[in-house]
Amino acid sequence: MATLVQPADEPRRPNIATADIQLPAVKDYEQVDNEILAILQPTKAWFFGLMGAMTCLGLGIFSWAYQIHQGLGVAGYNPPVMWGVYIITFVFWVGIGHAGTLISAILYLFRAGFRTTIYRAAEAMTVFAVMTAGLFPIIHIGRPWKFFWLIPYPNWRLLWPNFKSPLVWDVFAITTYLTISTTFLFVGLIPDIAVLRDREKNPLRKKILAFLSFGWRNSEREWRHFARAYLFLAAFSTPLVLSVHSIVSFDFAMGIVPGWHTTIFPPYFVAGAIFSGFAMVWTIIIPMRKWFNLRHYVTLNHLDASAKMVLFTSLVVGLAYAIEFFIAWYGGVQYEQDYFWNRVFGQWWWAAWIMLTCNMILPLSLFSQKLRRNPTWLWILSIFINIGMWFERFVIVVPALSHDVEPWQWSSYVPTWVDYGLLLGSFGWFFMWFLLFVKQLPIMALAEIKEIVPPRMKKAHGSHHGGH
Amino acid sequence: MTPEITEATKGALEERAAVKRREFLKVLGVSTAATAAVGCGTTDVEKLIPYLVSPDNTVPGVSNYYATTCRECAAGCGLIVEVRDGRAIKAEGNPSHPVNKGALCARGQSGMQGLYNPDRFRGPMKREGDRLVATTWDDAIGILAQKLGEVKSKNGGSKVAFINQHEQGSFPSLLDQILSGYGIGAHLSYDAEAPVAVAQANKAAYGASWPHVEFGAANLIVSFSADFLDGWGVPVPQQLAFADARGKVEGAPRFIYVGARRSLTGLNADQWIPARAGSELAIVNAMLGKGSIAKAAEAAGVAEELIANLAKEVRAAGSSAILAGGHTANTGELAAAVAELNKQRGNVGTTIKPAEGYNAFSGVSSAADLRALVEKMNNRGIDLVMVRGANPAYTTAPSLGFATAFVNVPFKVSFSSLPDETTAMCDLVLPDHHALESWGDAEPVDGTLSLQQPTMDPVFDSRSTADVLLAVAKSDPAQAARYGVADYRAWLANRIGGNAAMRAALPTALMSGSSATRTVSTARTPAAPPVQGEGEYQLLTYLSPTLGDGRGANKPWLQELPDPVTKICWQTVVEMHGETAITLGIEDGDLVTVTTTAGSLTAPALIYIGIRPDTIAVALGRGQSAAAGRYAVSGENAYGIMSLAEDARSGGAVYGATRAKVAKASGNQRLVTTEGSGRQHGRNVAQATTVAEIIANTNSVEHHRFDGQASTDFLPGLRSPVANDAQGEFGVPDSKDKGQYDPNHWSGAAKRRWAMTIDLAKCTGCSACVTACYAENNIPTVGASWQGPVLLPDRTGFGANITRSREMAWIRLERYWELDREPKDVKFDPAAPDFETRFIPMMCQHCGNAPCEPVCPVYATYHAPNGLNVQVYNRCVGTRYCSNNCPYKVRYFNWFGYGEPNRSQYAFPEPLNWQLNPDVTVRGKGVMEKCTFCVQRIKETENRVALEGREMEPDEFTTACAQACPSRAIIFGDAADENWSVAKWAKDRRAYHVFEELNTFTAVVYLQKVNHPAPSASAHA
Repeated sequence: MATLVQPADEPRRPNIATADIQLPAVKDYEQVDNEILAILQPTKAWFFGLMGAMTCLGLGIFSWAYQIHQGLGVAGYNPPVMWGVYIITFVFWVGIGHAGTLISAILYLFRAGFRTTIYRAAEAMTVFAVMTAGLFPIIHIGRPWKFFWLIPYPNWRLLWPNFKSPLVWDVFAITTYLTISTTFLFVGLIPDIAVLRDREKNPLRKKILAFLSFGWRNSEREWRHFARAYLFLAAFSTPLVLSVHSIVSFDFAMGIVPGWHTTIFPPYFVAGAIFSGFAMVWTIIIPMRKWFNLRHYVTLNHLDASAKMVLFTSLVVGLAYAIEFFIAWYGGVQYEQDYFWNRVFGQWWWAAWIMLTCNMILPLSLFSQKLRRNPTWLWILSIFINIGMWFERFVIVVPALSHDVEPWQWSSYVPTWVDYGLLLGSFGWFFMWFLLFVKQLPIMALAEIKEIVPPRMKKAHGSHHGGH
Repeated sequence: MTPEITEATKGALEERAAVKRREFLKVLGVSTAATAAVGCGTTDVEKLIPYLVSPDNTVPGVSNYYATTCRECAAGCGLIVEVRDGRAIKAEGNPSHPVNKGALCARGQSGMQGLYNPDRFRGPMKREGDRLVATTWDDAIGILAQKLGEVKSKNGGSKVAFINQHEQGSFPSLLDQILSGYGIGAHLSYDAEAPVAVAQANKAAYGASWPHVEFGAANLIVSFSADFLDGWGVPVPQQLAFADARGKVEGAPRFIYVGARRSLTGLNADQWIPARAGSELAIVNAMLGKGSIAKAAEAAGVAEELIANLAKEVRAAGSSAILAGGHTANTGELAAAVAELNKQRGNVGTTIKPAEGYNAFSGVSSAADLRALVEKMNNRGIDLVMVRGANPAYTTAPSLGFATAFVNVPFKVSFSSLPDETTAMCDLVLPDHHALESWGDAEPVDGTLSLQQPTMDPVFDSRSTADVLLAVAKSDPAQAARYGVADYRAWLANRIGGNAAMRAALPTALMSGSSATRTVSTARTPAAPPVQGEGEYQLLTYLSPTLGDGRGANKPWLQELPDPVTKICWQTVVEMHGETAITLGIEDGDLVTVTTTAGSLTAPALIYIGIRPDTIAVALGRGQSAAAGRYAVSGENAYGIMSLAEDARSGGAVYGATRAKVAKASGNQRLVTTEGSGRQHGRNVAQATTVAEIIANTNSVEHHRFDGQASTDFLPGLRSPVANDAQGEFGVPDSKDKGQYDPNHWSGAAKRRWAMTIDLAKCTGCSACVTACYAENNIPTVGASWQGPVLLPDRTGFGANITRSREMAWIRLERYWELDREPKDVKFDPAAPDFETRFIPMMCQHCGNAPCEPVCPVYATYHAPNGLNVQVYNRCVGTRYCSNNCPYKVRYFNWFGYGEPNRSQYAFPEPLNWQLNPDVTVRGKGVMEKCTFCVQRIKETENRVALEGREMEPDEFTTACAQACPSRAIIFGDAADENWSVAKWAKDRRAYHVFEELNTFTAVVYLQKVNHPAPSASAHA
């Protein structure tokens, strides 16, 4: 390792991080272990955060129980708007779930250096987001206790789900995605769990960690297998990033509802998913790097790089919006034209403009490098993008249904406290898992960080872990 | 039938009130065995099929049908009541009946909910303090006998009055006969709905109070506020004749409506002349040459040209049918003038047929007669008043002071079956049987008796008033000899020609004969001068087409049935023109206060283009007191702002003679409407053509074709790609696995294609089909205040679910304004006030290529080989994707447990649930439902023909909506078989499919509405 330049402050240029200057403030492996594992100590603030999350979850559970008992009528459904907050939130969380796999798998395959310190958090976020999303199709159906009828299981009545239905495809897409992303997360964790195991004093916990690390011994052979497995899973997950949200978009695109029935939905949804996923990564990682003193791990360079990704996906999404409008006009189908007019300038103008402002206009600020490197702005922007992306789904689901082909049945939609309770509950559920994760397992990949920290082989205490 | 109550059955009857259907079925077998074991003599017998002796072949699970007579209005239509296991479950029109010929309006069908009304009196009651407490029949009859005995002994007959709901038949005669035995004068035959003024004028001019109008013989129909499609007069026969005439297409009459508010009748007209209420007389006089057209136009507030053209058209029409209605005190005069005009045009005998008239309003008393009674009550001239069925405490203007006069009468007796405001003030309640539990007769047209027979044992411990009166009379030694009959049935049988004749007539409930209408004194009470009051608006308080004078308000079907014009249910609104709304600075739903000399009413405003800007309208019938039952309290009481008004000639009640002030009130209410957008936005849901276009063959039924796609020019028969989607492989000719979809499959399942045609030229939008569907398919009503979301305070109140579009009507009547802008933005133009309205019934279209089917993840909806789009409730998990994907939006979701008895949202509180059709599932919470094309009727017929070992006859059965339709617009059947009517109609030149461009290949074929533009205007077509 040639360079010994260790600038006092992080350089403003070049923007693209190199191996040399990725983590200038991280000196050695021990520092990595110590600093990252220090996060695992529970704190009061964490505890209150967890309580807050569980309170929200409790509200969600109460809302759901009330809804199951009373019937779906307690939610704000207003036929023909037969889908509402639950499907919106479902798509929202599936979208969130995309950034994790994109960062950990695709960026891994593309050897994008900025992913290293954020991918663990993003991957955990993915798993929890998909866990959250997976609840909503069940919450939203009229008889949730019969949800398993959507699963193809052998039964004496020889009844199978309808494989033509996009909702059945959803079941496959979501379960596959959850399985793969969980596996991916877990496999990546194996060397880190071994580190935890080695430091653990409590014999019971030690046993569990030993089991979970599969008896990791840090041997060459294990590393070789690990690297292969990781690469394989990365390659395996990559198409899922594209397919899962494509399939979710089929829920709409396969319908003949004006505003849904469009071929642009799969790429549009995937871009939107990545966009919203990155925003959620910011929402999580920017406070984390502050509270857990990880600013020298998640550097401004990293944020800058991810900001470019957000800017790019924002432009893609914006283009998709524009094409939707263009096709509505160009296609000459009156139903579509009426719907788009109603969506942007009619009944639902406020929702559409929230969406356009948050997803198209505000992200344009990221053309400024100054703002790309301003974590506070990025965090504020991430909240706007989260809101904007939720409203994007709102704008897709609700206005299309409320303004379908049959004018006599046009209507409106106002969610009730039950809808909001379950929306809040979903955040509670998500953050509960995330907060528990933060204090149980390393939020950053120890092994991978060590790969980019220059080994100090000449130092007396030598290296403990990793290395190549 | 042996519906007499014995001591043995009485216990069982009381028990039954609490027996739930499930328990009922559970103990069915047990008790059958028990009955067999103990015999029929003990008092412990529980009857589940409630007959003492099974009269005819009551087979569990098999329906019996009883012919009887409808008593929901005065017309006297014939009914066929389906009775299953001893319970009446559905009322349909009697096809052989001369009045309604098989059709039945929504109100007639809802008689079922009067029978099973949860608020019905359980038994006799007497007043103790300020409460009515239950008593025994012996006690109650004893009290009545004693009171009447006192009357007789004191010679106080003149101080007694009996107010009976106006009805035809023998009962009024019996009543008068018994009353006279006590020295009491003839009873008051009261009917708030009766168009007394017109009936009187008709009687004078034509010799028949309600002549039959042969619309088909006319080239032109002109209605001067005569709302003959809104329940005015004899609704079903009028509609039958009208729809029949309009359905002729070529040679069908043109229709002009003259009136301040465009009622349902008005909306069916080709032209609307919005004359001020009361100015119709001036117009008719001008047409008669008794006044100038300019003066008439000025009085009417419309352009002179409109009136001139009207006069010209009437002159040019050859034969025409001119009808008079009217809202103000000159109604009788108007009707007389119109009769003169008809005579002048030679219409009497061709279109106006007195010889085929209806007896509905023979012998009806006027509002003036009631006022005379009130005056007598006020002067302490009445000691005892009896009332039966009528509810004058509600249905009169407050200035009449009926309630205050009535409450001060020393003793008041009610024979009403259902609770109401009048009965609530009574001291003794002797509930009558419901009409469907009673014997009776009517003579709806001269020479034909329409019999009324009990269709089932009484639901509650009620007793026929005729029997009660006979019992009382028999207890009087002086009269006993006159009534040597066992009961009213026997009395009636004697009167109409003996028991044998009566028995022979019962299968159709029709016999020739006369019930010898009672003699009414011709001395009319002079009318009171109308109190108009002041205010810048003319207030039309009109009889609701769905609730009538309010007697429908306690029936949830009728409350939930959207008004055909306003599409408002469960709510009272103030209708006003958009210009009026701008003047007042309000929008739809803003509360306004209407103030008259009589009182004030605050209700949300509804902007309606079919009303003059100087007129506002409020429907009567809602806002009753809690005494009238749990459903009747919804809305506001428009009688409360009505000033006392009687027709100057006849003293009949008129409802549009009040002036009112209107002011904006604070706040607003969501309109309880089923209307999404009232315009088609160019989407061609309801299509129309003109006769000229049909003759020129230019009526534009577009069949879209796209290169590379299957032809959409198809019959709804098997040639449509019915099973393409359903089976997938059907499109592959080589495939051998077509299953039941194979036309050669042994089951013959794919042989048929069930389909429907709906003729929009005939459909008037009356909505009888909607109620028929509710009755047949156990559709829950969802608008009661306790049926909404429990924990949403902002959504409570009547109609809370409907403001969220959650009504469950499998068939709905869409009403589209043909306008290029929102109705509220339409300015009133006195020279060209006209606009077109189209009605279209919309239900599941049973698409051959149904968008709902592929998206269901669990196959809860799939395609049957016979063309039905099937919904499997048990399989449905409730993703609602099918509804999202349905272009017609005809799928309905069970947001709450409407079918679960332990819930506040339960739609069938005991004993309404007795009406439920056992052939149709009551759907559970969380499942989707929709029109099934009455699959239970299809199956029933298929099973019947299989059992009888024969082929199904063409048009052997039909769906509930088609059966009820008083326009005969709906035709159902097998489109794959050329012998069915539907197969012929589907090939009509006017046939089209809604949203054909979506390639859904629907099984419902609509026939274009036919407009009849003014002769001069039709030139450009």
